[in-house]
Amino acid sequence: MFKPKRKNKKGGKYSKSKSSSQSNMNLLQKPGMKFFKQCPFSEKNAPIIDYKNVRVIRKYLSESGRILPSRITSVSQKKQRELSKAIKRARILALL
Amino acid sequence: MMNCYEHTLVIKSDLSESDINKLFDKYSDIIKQNSGKIVKTEEWGLRPLSYQIQKSRKAFYYHIKFEGEGKIVNELESIGNIDKSLLRFLTVKVLKHDLEANYFEKKEINNV
Repeated sequence: MFKPKRKNKKGGKYSKSKSSSQSNMNLLQKPGMKFFKQCPFSEKNAPIIDYKNVRVIRKYLSESGRILPSRITSVSQKKQRELSKAIKRARILALL
Repeated sequence: MMNCYEHTLVIKSDLSESDINKLFDKYSDIIKQNSGKIVKTEEWGLRPLSYQIQKSRKAFYYHIKFEGEGKIVNELESIGNIDKSLLRFLTVKVLKHDLEANYFEKKEINNV
């Protein structure tokens, strides 16, 4: 029987395959910068994600008030969860 | 068990100052009666709402940080649901109170 070769070993670490440089580009990225951008909330002295911190949270909304996907803003998965919760709390209080 | 909570009140803007103080005392009394401890209170002042709530465009914001048991939250919410001078309220459980950050200074209000 034909078995296709496994790219990643079973139980081994999964490594991301490199896609073309075009798809890694960010919409918010400045030209001439590296393709991979770090999460803005994981750096040193990063702003705190909080529903009261309206000035920071507002950057991660589109013009129509929808939450921007993390693939555009390059926020990490954990921080994106916190962020979306903070946005929804701020919406209840009509801060956003 | 003691937990840390943050309670925010959104109050109708057509109330007089003494009414607002009364309302604020009412909610801080609820916390004290249920053996809670108020850590900090913040006044965010009159702020424009980002969308209309019950046909009002502006509202007073009050913020209470307190410690206490979970039954206080039940009490606050059951009374807040009936209260007609409140537009909205929100209770959030936090691990630790941050008493330094002040997100609502006068500059911010002018920008909005």
